[in-house]
Formats: sequence, structure tokens, C-alpha cells
Amino acid sequence: MQDHDRELRGHGRRRFIATAAALGLGSLAGCAGLGGEDETTTESGGNETVEQIGSGRSPFGDREITGGVSVADMPDLSGELTLYSGRGEALVGELISFFEDYYDDFTIRPRYNSAAELVNQIQTEGQNSPADVFFSVNAGSLGALKDAGRTQKLPSEVLDLVRDEFHDPDGQWTGTSGRARTVPFNTDQFDESEIPDDIMKFPETEAFRDNIGWAPTYSSFQAFITAMRVLEGEEATKQWLQGMQDLGVTEFKDEFLVSQAVADGEISAGFANHYYIQRILAGRPNAPLKTAFTSGDAGSIFNVAGALVLNTADDADLASNFVRHLLSAEAQDYFARTTFEYPLVSGVDPIGELPSIDELNPPEGLDLTQLSDLEGTVRLLREVGVL
Amino acid sequence: MATEQRTTTGGGDDEQPLGLTVASGAVAAAVIVPLLWLVESALEVGLSDALALLTRPTTVQVFLNSTVLVVLVTAACIALGVPLAYLTVRTDLPFKRFWTVAVSLPLVIPSYIGAFTFVSAFGPRGVLQRLLAPLGIDSLPEIYGLPGAVLVLTLYTYPYVFITTRAALKSMDTTLIDAARTLNHSRWEAFKRVTIPQIRPAVAAGALLAALYALSDFGTPAIMRFDAFTRVIYVEFGAFGRDTATLLSLQLVAVTLVILTLESQIRGNERTTTGGRSGSVMKLGRWKYPAVGFAALVAIVALVVPMGILLTWLAEGVAETGRSLAFRPEYAFNSVLVSAATAGAATIAGLPVAYLAARHSSRLSSLFERATYIGYAVPGVVLGLALVFFGSSYATPIYQTLYLLVFAYVIRFLPQAIGSLRASFLRVDPTLPEAARTLGETPTGAFRHVTLPLVAPGLFGGAALVFLTTMKELPATLMLRPSGFKTLVTHIWSAHEQGYFGQAVVPALILLFVSGLSMLIIIRQEGYDVK
Repeated sequence: MQDHDRELRGHGRRRFIATAAALGLGSLAGCAGLGGEDETTTESGGNETVEQIGSGRSPFGDREITGGVSVADMPDLSGELTLYSGRGEALVGELISFFEDYYDDFTIRPRYNSAAELVNQIQTEGQNSPADVFFSVNAGSLGALKDAGRTQKLPSEVLDLVRDEFHDPDGQWTGTSGRARTVPFNTDQFDESEIPDDIMKFPETEAFRDNIGWAPTYSSFQAFITAMRVLEGEEATKQWLQGMQDLGVTEFKDEFLVSQAVADGEISAGFANHYYIQRILAGRPNAPLKTAFTSGDAGSIFNVAGALVLNTADDADLASNFVRHLLSAEAQDYFARTTFEYPLVSGVDPIGELPSIDELNPPEGLDLTQLSDLEGTVRLLREVGVL
Repeated sequence: MATEQRTTTGGGDDEQPLGLTVASGAVAAAVIVPLLWLVESALEVGLSDALALLTRPTTVQVFLNSTVLVVLVTAACIALGVPLAYLTVRTDLPFKRFWTVAVSLPLVIPSYIGAFTFVSAFGPRGVLQRLLAPLGIDSLPEIYGLPGAVLVLTLYTYPYVFITTRAALKSMDTTLIDAARTLNHSRWEAFKRVTIPQIRPAVAAGALLAALYALSDFGTPAIMRFDAFTRVIYVEFGAFGRDTATLLSLQLVAVTLVILTLESQIRGNERTTTGGRSGSVMKLGRWKYPAVGFAALVAIVALVVPMGILLTWLAEGVAETGRSLAFRPEYAFNSVLVSAATAGAATIAGLPVAYLAARHSSRLSSLFERATYIGYAVPGVVLGLALVFFGSSYATPIYQTLYLLVFAYVIRFLPQAIGSLRASFLRVDPTLPEAARTLGETPTGAFRHVTLPLVAPGLFGGAALVFLTTMKELPATLMLRPSGFKTLVTHIWSAHEQGYFGQAVVPALILLFVSGLSMLIIIRQEGYDVK
């Protein structure tokens, strides 16, 4: 390892160098799926070194970059890029400015807003849209722009970095990090074994009566219900929703608030993406909050945050190379450490109190692009009076 | 719209000056034109779908919910705003100056911050509950739902009523009351027969702003888990049902028109008041303490609760992951820049509309004035999208520039400037500029040298009001700002959305401080009213 710049532990800001050598370390650690990447990257690193983005620390301990392709081995970025980001600045701002600072003549004009509002904005702007890349929190909003014919195909160098199930089959978008559906529960009120591992069993679980929460206007929740419609059918989904309402479910504005209410004991359990739990635990390590998973059903879908290149992009090469950078070892490590998401590039591990991506049991045969039919879900949610 | 009732205005020229009418019409058109996108977009939905959507039980329910919310908030705003205005103007309330400032200040707090902090303070397992837990109190009355939404919206919009009513009370001729009293009317009767008719237009104007605010606010009902109209629109946008959302927004515009009509009925006849003499002040006597208690309670609930919670968040520290949200002074500068530009632009655009409406009452002048209110009631996100379309299609050179952003703010907040200006024009005795004319001034000269100086306080007051509401605006800012341009509220939103509350505190405090300063201007300008 060419870690000439590395300081000793416990001293101010540690700077780790992620070089091609780190990639070798990742493979040694037994991570599959790197294939032929090793030889293309080991020698090309040259003198260029890339720091770990932000500090190496996470609230769950120190770590180094373990695998993936370094930024140093990706094509340089130069020029100006307008990025519409449906991911909040609090989460990805540091990553975005890292790339901007890393390249001398590369400028990013980021525009942060909710993913849905940006999709609406891009569609409203039509062919005059200044956006080059859309970076989003879920497959649904990416699919919506694809369906509207506003995307262009990503090159295979980008698509090949992640497993097939994490990018659009037609190559119009790629996932950049993963998010698992989970059940946050309060450990003062439940034992892990008491949480059903079948999502369809929840409405009939009396222990949850008037004591469980959800966020029905939240897009991840709607994606989860969309998955249920695909996997179980409309009728079963309708009954499930009805059952939950009869059980007495509390409504929240978003899933961060759901998870917080569970941590506070206001409710005993809820439905939320996995990282909200980690984010609360990062700030309050002693909170009586844990993550439960269901198995092989809509409650355990693994959705992605991802990116796409718009058909109005000024410089499509620059845009797709930028997306490629979001799949660099450094960016993937950043997602794991900072946003507590699942890295999608093999060899970069998740962090915190989480099972590895291979230990998750998402439903078989569910295509993420099927999750973009939110309209049907909203209609169903209305029919049963949830919305 | 029922405009016939409004017959008497201050005399002056009987025929409408053409130039003024054209200018006023142009402002109204500029406000309305981008909103035509709503109509176009809604037409794409198709009639049968549209009808199905609008008559769906949940839509009807949500419509009723919104109506109840608006009615209750408006009533509560009047119930708080009018007595407080009366106490601070017409009685010997101790520390009047202080209470005037204290009960005006809630206007500087954005309602979404109010809602979050109230939930944090009074929600289940909130700060208050935790404080009371040792005393064996383990649950508090439910804050969520209608009560919470009404409470928060009232606390942060009643100052509209307070401010407008105060101005009217200050400029009222109190000799009329004394006259009524000498005619053996009781205090209450004198109030009912003399004061109420005189302040009614001002109360109605303030209540209108509060009602339209309650109708268009998204944040508070969402946080309070109350199904108001704006929430359905939000859900539709979230499901990429843009056309449906705009259809619902049109329905919202229709409700706005109903409210505008109602307000013009209540506003009733207006007179030009030729500057008041207010000498007599009501002695509160033993009512002094309840009166102070009332003002103190309102100020404490509306100000101390959010400030306390904000400071708690600050004390809890800053999460490691929130580093990219480090505060930069330029955000405050940006906020002040766009807000000042908006205040100036809205005042200039408001002048012809307000002058025409105050001096030359006609169907047309009234139509122009009312038209400017529509942008105020459309939810920010809808107005934002309309201007995205307008800007990217027809005004590409200014799309995602500060010009379009300021234009959006003007559409949104013009009524506040117009309301204040109009009231000021009504207070200028029309014989004064006429006198100047007889002395050889041109109409423009008479306006510049006589009328304008007289309305200057109202002009600055209106501008300050626009300034501080622009400081707080969020949804249109998010959509229309130049990429990379950040203001205090976009920064607060970024931090808050991701749950990094601590990072939102410093910009929130700066926002409150700067807005507080502009509030002082609003209060100060009233000093001119009582010569």
C-alpha cells in the first residue's frame, strides 16, 4: 500500500489513501465479482492518489476502503455539469464537492429538491431542461423519467460496475447505493423473535394494535406497497392495507419520523428504510431501537438510489462519466460510512449494525423497474382511505 | 365578484386615468399569465377523469377539512389579533411598546418551523411530556390533527390581523368615540357602533391574508398529520401525477375566489379617513393584569416554545454526517438580497394597482386588485411549476436566474404590498393633491410631491411585510433559484429534511433576527400615523 500520507490512529484527521492496491486487499478479503478488474487497475494508478472522502471514521468505528474501482482509475472529469439531485445536500453534498475539488476544471451546478419535484420540473422544462444528470433516492423516479422518454442509455463501462438487478434492463439508469425495507422495533417492547418474518402477517399481529407506524405519503413506502401489488396481487394488498388500518396504525410524514417515534417508544414498531435506524443509532447509540427483516416478500425489497443521464445533457460523455464516479470505490465507501446505505459495487461493505447485502432475503424475481407504477399504488391507497 | 357594495372612495377624479389603468392591468396580467399553465395542464387530464377525481369521497373529505381549517384559523386570528391590537393602541396597557413588538414577532417564524417545534415540544414523548414525567403525567392531550394545525397556523398568522387592525385603530378619529360616549352610549356600544365599522375593512384585509395563508400552507398540515387540501396535491406530485395535481390546484384557486368574494362583502363601505386625532386612552384598571397576561401568554406560546426547542437542538450538537451543511454567511446575504429586491419590486408593481383601487373604484380596478391575490393562494409548489414552465418555455434567458425568482416572489406576495398601500391611499385626504393641482402641479407632480410623502409610511410598512415573508418562502425558492444559490430557508430545509436539526438552528436564528428587524420597521412606521 502506498500509504505514505497515513497518520497514526487517534490523531486528528486521518487520511487514508485508496489506491489500486486497496482493490487487491478487497479481493483478498474474499469478495467475489471483481473479475478482470484487477489487472486493468493495479498498474494504472500512477501517482494519482485519492483520499477517503470525509474522515475515515463512522459513528460505528474506523474503516478503510476495501474494494471497488478507485476514482484514480476513472476517466477525468472536466467542464460544467448541472446535477438535479433528489438526494439531500446533507447526505451527498460532501461527495459532490469532493469530485468538484478533485478535478481542477470541473464544475458541478447542483440543484437539490425532492426527487418527485425534480422529476416534475424536468418534465415541465421539456427540451429546454438545463439538467445533465438526475440523481435520485429511488428506482421509481428514475423509471418515471425513463417512461417519459427523457433518458439516454448509459455506456457498459458504467453499467457493468453493478450487478444486473441493480440497473435498468435497458441501461437507462443505474443504482448507486441500496436501501433495504425493514421493520424498526423498540427493544423495550419486543424481542426480535416476536416480529413476524412475513410482512403479510402484520395486520393480524395483535401486539401491534394501536402501536405501529407508517408514512403513506413517503415514496419509499409507496414503492413497498407497489412491490406488494406485484408480488401478492391487488386484492391481497388491499386487504393488508385495510387490516393495518383496522389494527390502528399511526401516520407519519416520513420514515425518519417513524423510526424516531419507535426509538422514543411512542410506537413499538414501524415500516422504514434501513438507514433511518442507523442514522438514529449513530446519534443515540443507546436508543432501544433495532432492525428486523421480513423474508422474501414486499417487506424486504431492496430498492436503489441511482442516477441517469438526461437526453438533454450538453455533454453526454461527461454526464455518464460522472455517474461512473458515483460507483467509484471512494463514493461507494462514502455511501456506506456516511449515509449508512448498502454499497452496490461488490467488495465495498456496508457498515453499522447491518447484515451484509448477501444475507438479505429480498423477494425473488422482482424487477425494480416494476416499482415505478406509483399511480396504481396511490389509487389503491386512496380506495382504502389511507390517503 | 361582488364589487357593487364598494361605492364610496375618496372622490378625486371621476374618470379613470388611462395610463394608470393600463399599468394596473399590466401588473394583474403579469401575475395571472403564468398561472394559465395550470389551466392548460389541467385540461390534459380529461373531463371524466377530472370529475371522478373531484367527486371522490376522499377529495370531498379533504375539501371539507380544508374549509374547516381555514374557517377556524381565520376566526382564531381575529379573536387574537383584534383584542391585542386594541390593547396595544387604545388602552393604558403597561409596556405597550414591548408588547406590540412581542406579539408581532411570531410573523417572522415560518409556520413549518413552528409546527416542527410544537410537535417536538408537545408531541407524545416530547420535551414537555419528559419534563412532566417525574410528576406522573405520562400522556398529554393530542397535538396532532386539526387542533395542532389550527393552533400553529393561528399563532403564526394572527399578526396579519394584528398589524392591519392596529394601523386602522391608530388612524381612527377617536373624537367620534368621545361623541358617542357623550350621547350616553356605553363603552361596548360605542365600540360596536363606532369602532367596529371603522376597523372592519382592515380586519377583513388581515383576515384575508391569514385565510389564504392557511389554505395554501402545506408544511403545517403535513407535520400535524391533518389531511388538508395541499396534501392531496403533494401526494399527486409525489406519484408523478402532475396533471392531476394541477387540476386540484385549480380547485384551490376556485376556493380562493370564493374567499375573495366573501372578504369583499365583509369589507363593506370604505371611507377615506382624513387622519385621526386619538387622544383618549381607555383605562384598564383592574383588567390590567389579565390584559398583560393575555399578551404574555400569546407571546410565550408563539415565541418561547420554538426558540426553546431550537436551542435544545443546538445543545444536542451537530451530527458528524451533517458537515456539508456548515453554515456560510453568504446564505444570509442571499436571503436579504432577494427579499429586498422583491420588496422593492412588489412596491413598485403594487403602486398603480393600489392607487387605482383606492381612488377610482370601478369593476375594473377592483378586478385588477383581486386578481393579484390569486398567486398568493396557489400553493408555492404549483406556482413554482407554473413558472418553471413559463420560464423554460418563454423566458429562457432569465430561467433559473434571480430575475425569475424575484418575479415569482412578487406574484406570491404582491397582495401584502397592495393591501398596505391601498389602506394608506385611503387615508390621504383627496383634497390635498387637488390643492396642489390648483397651485399648478401636474397630476404626476401632485402625486409625487403630496400623495407619495403622505403614503410613505404605508409604503415602507408594506415593503417590510413583503421582505419578511419572502425571507421565509420555501417551495418556490427550491424550484426557481439558480442552481447552487442557497438562502437561509433552503439551508434550513436541507438540514431539517435529513434530520440534522442541529444544523438548522443557526440559519433559523439568523432568519428570525433579520426578519425581526424588518418587523421593527413595520411597527415603527405606524408612528407616522399619529401626528
